Amino acid sequence: MGASKKESVEVNKKEEEENKNRKKTQPTKKEKLSTEESLLHKKQEDRAKNYKGFSEDDASEDFKSVEKSEAGDSESSGDEGFHNTSSNEGLANESQSEDSEPDQGGEESDSSEDEVAPRNTVGDVPLEWYRDEKHIGYDITGKKLKKKERQDKLDSFLANVDNSKNWRKIYDEYNDEDVEVTNEETKLIRRMLKGKAPHGDFDLYAVLGLVRAIRKGLIKFDKPKEEPRFYMLWGDDASSSEKTGHLSYIPAPKPNLPGHEESYNPSLEYIPTQEEINSYQLMDEEDRPKFIPKRFMSLRSIPAYENAVKDSFERCLDLYLCPRVHKKRINIDPESLKPKLPSRKDLKPYPATCYLEYKGHKDAVMSISTETSGHWIASGSSDGTVRLWEVETCRCIKVWEFGEVVQYVAWNPLPELPVLAVSVGQDVFLLNTGLGNEETQRKVKELLHVATSTALDDSGNKVSAWSWLQDDKHEGIRLQHFKTVYSVEWHLFHPTRSIFFVSTKKNVRVYDLLKQKLIKKLETGLREVSSISVHPAGDNVIVGSRDGKLCWFDMDLSSKPYKVLKCHPKDITNVAFHRSYPLFASCSDDCTAYVFHGMVYSDLNQNPLIVPLEILRGHAISNGRGVLDCKFHPRQPWLFTAGADSLIKLYCH
Amino acid sequence: MGTDMEMDMDGDVEERRVQVRFITKLKPPYRVPNTSIAIPANLTRLGLSTIVNSLLKAGEDEWESQPFDFLIDGELVRLPLEQFLLAKGISAEKVLEIEYIRAVALQKEDEPSLHDDWVSAVDGSCPRFILTGCYDNLGRVWRAAGECTHVLEGHSGAITSVSVVNSEGTDSVTVATASKDETLRLWKFDNEEHSDQPSKIRAFKILRGHNASVQSVAVEASGSMICSGSWDCTINLWRTNVSDTEGDLVSIKKRKVKNKAEESQLEGEALSTLVGHTQCVSSVCWPEPKTIYSASWDHSVRRWDVEMGKDLSSIFCGKPLSCLHVGGEGSALIAAGGSDPILRIWDPRKPGTSAPIYQFSSHNSWISACKWHSKSLFHLLSASYDGKLMLWDLRTAWPLAIADSHEDKVLCADWWKGDSVISGGVDSKLCISSGISVL
Repeated sequence: MGASKKESVEVNKKEEEENKNRKKTQPTKKEKLSTEESLLHKKQEDRAKNYKGFSEDDASEDFKSVEKSEAGDSESSGDEGFHNTSSNEGLANESQSEDSEPDQGGEESDSSEDEVAPRNTVGDVPLEWYRDEKHIGYDITGKKLKKKERQDKLDSFLANVDNSKNWRKIYDEYNDEDVEVTNEETKLIRRMLKGKAPHGDFDLYAVLGLVRAIRKGLIKFDKPKEEPRFYMLWGDDASSSEKTGHLSYIPAPKPNLPGHEESYNPSLEYIPTQEEINSYQLMDEEDRPKFIPKRFMSLRSIPAYENAVKDSFERCLDLYLCPRVHKKRINIDPESLKPKLPSRKDLKPYPATCYLEYKGHKDAVMSISTETSGHWIASGSSDGTVRLWEVETCRCIKVWEFGEVVQYVAWNPLPELPVLAVSVGQDVFLLNTGLGNEETQRKVKELLHVATSTALDDSGNKVSAWSWLQDDKHEGIRLQHFKTVYSVEWHLFHPTRSIFFVSTKKNVRVYDLLKQKLIKKLETGLREVSSISVHPAGDNVIVGSRDGKLCWFDMDLSSKPYKVLKCHPKDITNVAFHRSYPLFASCSDDCTAYVFHGMVYSDLNQNPLIVPLEILRGHAISNGRGVLDCKFHPRQPWLFTAGADSLIKLYCH
Repeated sequence: MGTDMEMDMDGDVEERRVQVRFITKLKPPYRVPNTSIAIPANLTRLGLSTIVNSLLKAGEDEWESQPFDFLIDGELVRLPLEQFLLAKGISAEKVLEIEYIRAVALQKEDEPSLHDDWVSAVDGSCPRFILTGCYDNLGRVWRAAGECTHVLEGHSGAITSVSVVNSEGTDSVTVATASKDETLRLWKFDNEEHSDQPSKIRAFKILRGHNASVQSVAVEASGSMICSGSWDCTINLWRTNVSDTEGDLVSIKKRKVKNKAEESQLEGEALSTLVGHTQCVSSVCWPEPKTIYSASWDHSVRRWDVEMGKDLSSIFCGKPLSCLHVGGEGSALIAAGGSDPILRIWDPRKPGTSAPIYQFSSHNSWISACKWHSKSLFHLLSASYDGKLMLWDLRTAWPLAIADSHEDKVLCADWWKGDSVISGGVDSKLCISSGISVL
């Protein structure tokens, strides 16, 4: 098979197919004759393996097969193996035979063995071991193979005489059966006995020619390496650090290459006019161009470069004074750095759209307050009025005139007593809103009635910091302070415990009212605290500052802020928590209000979840101020914002 | 006739045509011959209307053109015919049956009737008069635009809702008003008497029991009971004592008159209270004797059994609701609007779902009122804080008509006489738009 191919191939031909076929045929020191012999030998051996009965000596056969496997090993391990085995000529021949035609032979013997699988499975053991047994071995299922009744010599002789073809029969001792040799096989055997190649079409001389050609180096098996035609003359800068072996070596930055303008005879467009040159003188030293292109008609007329020394000096300075540092760039997907936050859609409802506006104030609305049921809101403005509004219809129900800037308004959290506290200048007024039926009105009037005599005493003695006064004009009480009052809260207290929050310029102090002691000091790290709000559960506080930062404190966690949200470019004017929804908001002088989702978990192991939800715009800037106050509707996820543009807006979900 | 049309149209460039047949439920003068004709597929509603009008004109020379609306498979055509068929997946191969109805439009607008303050409530359930409530604490009765016949005096807070209780008798009419002064009042007046000056009426009965502003009042069909929703989260049921105990009432009244001439008012207490809402009950509706529907700021619509005093079912909407009305097909569809610009309609008979079956979202602000037409199965109107009044047909997602007569928020609206729409708003006007041919 392989031989027929080889025959057709010319000795000097360098076809790839041939190369492949002979890849493993390394040039050897063996004589060509030995090669020829080995080839024959190999074939013989293959045949012999198939028809074991034919070989005279079983033991030698076994030995050969073992040798064969060794030769195979040596072949795979290369030349060394080959030299080891070459000490024995015969063995070397065999190994050589393996080398010359490894694939073909192996395949042939394998396939022939596959065709007729041996019945016996004892393997290559001396068969004498079974000579005295009744079985010759075991079949594939493990059953004993019984010996056939041997014909005695006479019978066999008679059979030999009777049957003219009996000479073809060969006894296979291994499988204990008679095998009849076909005509073709006898021919093969005869050729082998004569010392020829087993197959008639095998041309020994063609093979020898190939072997000779390989030895002379006419047939090459390796593709010639393509050498790159161009290469970096001075080597690659990037790889030079590897060459030097110093880990810390960093190549110097290259100086800029000269351009056309630095030519001795540049095109006219590069030459600056006289005016341009003059204008360079007016420029700053830094901005002035370093080089002014000039024309020279010939190389001869070029003067010496006056800056040569200076330039090379500066270059040297650059090279050895500039620290060169490897900057490690880490490739991180910026998206992966973002915290995994739930989608806004899943956090609905939250205020998003402004549907209602409360119009009526003439000047900036300083403060708003919602009534507990969410039916009414009150607002104080710098036009000196306090207004009472119906939330649903935006109708202004009532107006109180004070004539002075109203700093702060606050509803009584008790729904039974609709009383409004208003801080105006140095006074705090408690106002009867006039809401409710006669019964509540009676109670409110009772509450707001102050015996004038005691009030006079207080104000006369000036013992306390403030004094109570009956205020007939506004149907309420007037509390006179000596200093301007900025903020009134009915209880800026802890919702469940008797804790009281006081914010100073930088810190928030937490007092226990029962023990009258400072229990905690929250360090905001802010420039100036402007507002504070306590979560309805009581353990979380948000603080807004004048530098636009919002701090969330988890009181159980630490006295440092749990999160600082830098969202507003201008002062935060107020922060607010929603009473029932997990929402909080901040409003700022940049005319926006931010709404956040602020979920506090009852599980102490879980930190509060803060998700920014919406930026509410709509207010106009007025006198440099934007939104001055924001309050949540007590029962709906709605936000009221009070603007310096004298509007109050309601953002609904 | 039909061939003439085709001849006319053939002059145009090659275009698709559809075979149609016009049918109608209208009375004879509006009928066209029942033959199928081929019309261009790109016709719009106007084109269809022109064809029908010319068909009618061929039958009757005196015919005055008027707009029509067209229904294909129960849906109003609002796109060019071709697009409509494509969108609805209707085959244009067979003869298409197009039903035409008279187009609904606001044709006439009366001079607005001015009030002294915001008009917060309006009721047009009696065709003889319009009842309005106002933020100046007065109720008013109007015979027609600008003709005020009675003024209802007595409330100490703005009136939030009004309802005609009984208008059976020609001489005596009973009405109920709800107010922010936490009371409801019942009034009786003689509708027939006429004078140049509106006569002042005092309530004959004050209903106390709510602890906060009363937002809404609704009357049972027979007029013997009313219910009211309030900011105190409750619904109270009251007996009107009009039909059944008329005799007693009169006698008590007389006796009282003897004692104190001025204090001729009765005080009534709530018959029962329906508790369940967690926020302000903003609207109530009493369509059947045993069932009350209520809408609340707690985002729910509840159905109450009157006898048991329990809520049978509730629909959650996600937004605070401020108006509710039940009507339409089988008088069972719930229309409600609230703190967003979407008018939602639910069918409570559909089991296992609380998703609205229709959502109309052409308004720009809160919806303040919605009312079904009393006779039509498809028509309803809505009023919004954006100052617009819209007429809706369930068969299309676009409003049939938009009335822009108010300058500010519209607070209340109702149908009147079946062909007019009345509305009141922050601009203190009562607007009457008439000539609406719903049926």
